[in-house]
Amino acid sequence: MQFGIFTVGDVTPDPTTGREPTDAERVKAITAIALKAEEVGLDVFALGEHHNPPFVPSSPTTLLGWIAARTERLLLSTSTTLITTNDPVKIAEDYAMLQVLADGRVDLMMGRGNTGPVYPWFGQDIRNGIPLAVENYALLHRLWREEVVDWQGKFRTPLQSFTSTPRPLDGVPPFVWHGSIRSPEIAEQAAYYGDGFFANHIFWPKEHTQRMVGLYRQRFAHYGHGDPDQAIVGLGGQVFMRKNSQDAVREFRPYFDNAPVYGHGPSLEDFSRETPLTVGSPQQVIDRTLGFRDYVGDYQRQLFLLDHAGLPLKTVLEQLDLLGEEVVPVLRKEFAALKPAHVPDAPTHQSLKARVAA
Amino acid sequence: MTTRTLVVVSAGLSVPSSTRLLADRLAAATVAAAGRAAGDAMPVEVTHVELRELAHDITDHLLTGFAPAALRRALDAVAAADGLIAVTPIFNASYSGLFKSFTDVLDRTALDGTPVLLAATGGTARHSLALDHALRPLFAYLRAAVVPTGVFAATEDFAGGALRARIDRAAAELADAMARREPAAPADPFALTTDFAALLAGD
Repeated sequence: MQFGIFTVGDVTPDPTTGREPTDAERVKAITAIALKAEEVGLDVFALGEHHNPPFVPSSPTTLLGWIAARTERLLLSTSTTLITTNDPVKIAEDYAMLQVLADGRVDLMMGRGNTGPVYPWFGQDIRNGIPLAVENYALLHRLWREEVVDWQGKFRTPLQSFTSTPRPLDGVPPFVWHGSIRSPEIAEQAAYYGDGFFANHIFWPKEHTQRMVGLYRQRFAHYGHGDPDQAIVGLGGQVFMRKNSQDAVREFRPYFDNAPVYGHGPSLEDFSRETPLTVGSPQQVIDRTLGFRDYVGDYQRQLFLLDHAGLPLKTVLEQLDLLGEEVVPVLRKEFAALKPAHVPDAPTHQSLKARVAA
Repeated sequence: MTTRTLVVVSAGLSVPSSTRLLADRLAAATVAAAGRAAGDAMPVEVTHVELRELAHDITDHLLTGFAPAALRRALDAVAAADGLIAVTPIFNASYSGLFKSFTDVLDRTALDGTPVLLAATGGTARHSLALDHALRPLFAYLRAAVVPTGVFAATEDFAGGALRARIDRAAAELADAMARREPAAPADPFALTTDFAALLAGD
């Protein structure tokens, strides 16, 4: 099982000091967080994509390329890549370039985005969110698999005799996850292609995750990719830890109370009950995370959100130490002991290359 | 005849509340009217949704995008209802903010074609047209099937007999509309209603 972190890259004032990092400081903080993720033994670092303040990651492959050059082992991913408003040709080119430079340590998670005006800013209509995700990904899928592509669709200029370069490393396209909170069409899309399905699993009740993963597993089998429990599932998670759980609650509360998305709404206690948020000791995080398996089955990837709501870099790096030293080693052992042999691991470049060779 | 479900949403803020008092009388009159249906009495199961108890949940839903458990149960009950009685106090010439917030977090298709009886309370009869200029357009937008008679009760109406007649007329209309409609089957937002071939074809 893979463990890692994902970030949306928000620039949020620290509510305890009022200090807001500059965009440049936040970008550098994200790179420091990614390097730390490798240092503490995590497997995956995933970066969001946004085109509006208060978010800074507008250019994910530039940032991930920098990280790739300074890491050895870390798998670089996205959370998410906007399949709706990006040109699928540019996604094919940019991520193949990243994949080549990172020696295959790249996969992607497709998403539709969370900000309405991004659609018109990029010449699209939000009411076409699902059709854009379907058509654009169908083209991207072909561009990585067919040398020369003739294509015509509804949303983009037609292509004649087009070849996307560089070609994917070893002829193996990056593995793709499809992320969605509550759109059954996206679970269907992931199932159709035999791609991975990632349930955001933060800020929302677990019932959403359970329904979406259940649908994805059932349709994965319907399309002949394996049994339902062999589908490739990833989950998010949101945690804040201190050795002593009361310290964690006390320290995190002002960040929680003022956070974007849920701040000034439910109490920390309510939100911890209604969503997978866990604020407490490393052991509490271990117990809660192991419990995810009870409602989604054996799964392949667990990503944690650690760095939002204005938490200072120093605190985030301390969280990574706790995650890497006290939480993930236990989770690796426990999840591995529970997983039946016929349930696959998440595909990597090496495993996909071996599959192509065989 | 199959049992029908009637949900009674009441947005009164005080306890006891004249809004709830009116809601209870409307519910009882609807159950009674359903029981009098010629030849084939219709059993009605009544669920009360008191918005005051859900006020924090409704605000949280507006802020987070999802319903806490107690509100989820109320929203599911409304979506599955065969009939709805909605009663609000009139504040500043319209429905109360709490009442509107509840309608703002209803699932998009929750009231499609649902028979609805609209009612309101106010200090004086001068507020009575709010039923028709504020509540009716809102429920038309929600595609509800609102019965012709709305019931407005000013404080003074709790003395005379005219309110009783309006309650009975509105309740009879609602019971009749519920009897004529097949029992409701709410939409499941997570159900897949298409397959990938259709999605790819842009259908």
